[in-house]
Amino acid sequence: MEEGNREEVAEVALNDVVDAVIERAPYAQGKVIRERRVEFSIPAEKLRDFLRVMKESGFEMLMQITVVDWLKEGKFELVYQMWSVTHSTHAFVRLEVQRDDARLPTVMDIFPVAETYEREAHEFFGIDFEGNPRLGPFILEPREYEKHPFRKDFSTLSYVKEIYGEDFDRYDESKTNYVI
Amino acid sequence: MVMVSNLEVPRELRKEALKHDMYLKPISEDTYELFFGPQHMATENFSIILKMDGSRVEKAIANPGFLHRGFEKLAEQRPYFTNIALLLRICVPESDVPENIYSMAVDELVGWEVPERAIWIRTVVLEMARLASWMFWIMGFANEIGLYTAGSWAAAYRERFMRLFEELTGGRVYHIYTVPGGVRRDIPGDRWLRQLGDTVEYIKSKLKDFDEILFDNYITFARTEGVGVMDRKFALDHAVTGPNLRAVGVPYDVRKDDPYYLYPELDFEVPILNEGDSLARVLVRRYEMEQDLYILEQLLEMGPPGGPYMVQDKRLKSLPRFKVPAGSAWAHVESTKGDFGAYVVSDGTHKPYRVHIRGPSQSHGITVLEELLRGARLADVPVILKTLDNCPPDIDR
Repeated sequence: MEEGNREEVAEVALNDVVDAVIERAPYAQGKVIRERRVEFSIPAEKLRDFLRVMKESGFEMLMQITVVDWLKEGKFELVYQMWSVTHSTHAFVRLEVQRDDARLPTVMDIFPVAETYEREAHEFFGIDFEGNPRLGPFILEPREYEKHPFRKDFSTLSYVKEIYGEDFDRYDESKTNYVI
Repeated sequence: MVMVSNLEVPRELRKEALKHDMYLKPISEDTYELFFGPQHMATENFSIILKMDGSRVEKAIANPGFLHRGFEKLAEQRPYFTNIALLLRICVPESDVPENIYSMAVDELVGWEVPERAIWIRTVVLEMARLASWMFWIMGFANEIGLYTAGSWAAAYRERFMRLFEELTGGRVYHIYTVPGGVRRDIPGDRWLRQLGDTVEYIKSKLKDFDEILFDNYITFARTEGVGVMDRKFALDHAVTGPNLRAVGVPYDVRKDDPYYLYPELDFEVPILNEGDSLARVLVRRYEMEQDLYILEQLLEMGPPGGPYMVQDKRLKSLPRFKVPAGSAWAHVESTKGDFGAYVVSDGTHKPYRVHIRGPSQSHGITVLEELLRGARLADVPVILKTLDNCPPDIDR
């Protein structure tokens, strides 16, 4: 089989995968980005239901939960990234939550590995995953807990100054073009 | 064995931590608490808090965070090309992997066609990194089960790759070599290629020595057989990847299933075993070493294609203000630890809006480790840890 032909066949098969998922979850929007990459966006309240559908449709592994802080829009974008061994395809499941009251149900019982990812997202961004018993200081020190350093409004420079005070004499507030 | 009875944890810190179940509850009459690492040789900047009943582990809590340096946050505050010098520190034994995934993601965002020569060099560098990392792993694993000779040999053979890397890139451990759009320097010359060929040949001849002393040794079998068993469903649910997943019979390899660089043109096999215990994980790694040597041989036979080693783009002349179109991209490669991926979000400025690295140890280093350690003997703890090939820096980042 020729190279181009095989790619076309793969894309048609992917469209079928996306259609099958959307048929079972009509609230979701999905599309094929390119070969081996598909994307879905769902409302936040349907998260658990949708991930269950995804798992039954052949996306066995939850690879990562990425949080992107869109400060201007006042929203967190969560990307649940999944890999399917059956279809050899990576799926992005995107959803948005309000920044000031970020709450989501846990998906630990569907994908046990989510426990670790949720602990990390909770610590760095302050998102509450209801039902996860292990949220708390994980990677950071207890004194840094609840500062949520990966939020866009957390300034690394002022935090360093607060902790190290006068010892950190390289820091000059009048300068604006530091790259640290 | 030393009884740990007086824990030197500050009282207020302990109170706070107890609330979040970070440290275990006070010790009763029969059980005691054992801090395994971060000083322990097997754990490498990582610690496990074990609740012991005699020499059995009743409960284990992974305690990462000793290596957290906030790379993802720092990457948001630096230009695209500067980040290479930062992100490669996420995986110490094979630092080329974070370089490559980040560069692949940025290439995809910009829409660059990386030149053929750069693709060839990147593939060679990744395979060399894999072999150097296997040697590093043998060093750790053999020392854990008491076969120090194999460990010392592996350290010496790794040195050969370090020297080749030094000549190619200028750095021994951290290379800062792969950049978006290509690679930073060309190959030093034909002599370097000959040296690489000799090294591959040499390591290949030494594999049978490793077999005799380590992989086919009854000590290895006695220490690893039936230890830390997982099954297929457990591994998939916990998103275990790499050799650990192939040891439970799932033939998932990024190089085959989501091919990148020259891998579609190369001929190699994905070894799988079905047992899922520590021995299977060790043997899968042994077979993969052989495949990597075979891949490098094929690449050397192919020879580097001509042409530039960096993409020809006018925008590269003003690097610090180089802007990347808005969007997001995910790229991943097969490292010796598993599926290593990067998700890069751009908002159209000269700095990335978000970089998120998926280290394979995030999935098999926390929950999987805690599950496998439950009920294990104390002597098996380092064996399970080393056969999972836990790499703490990619948990902490």
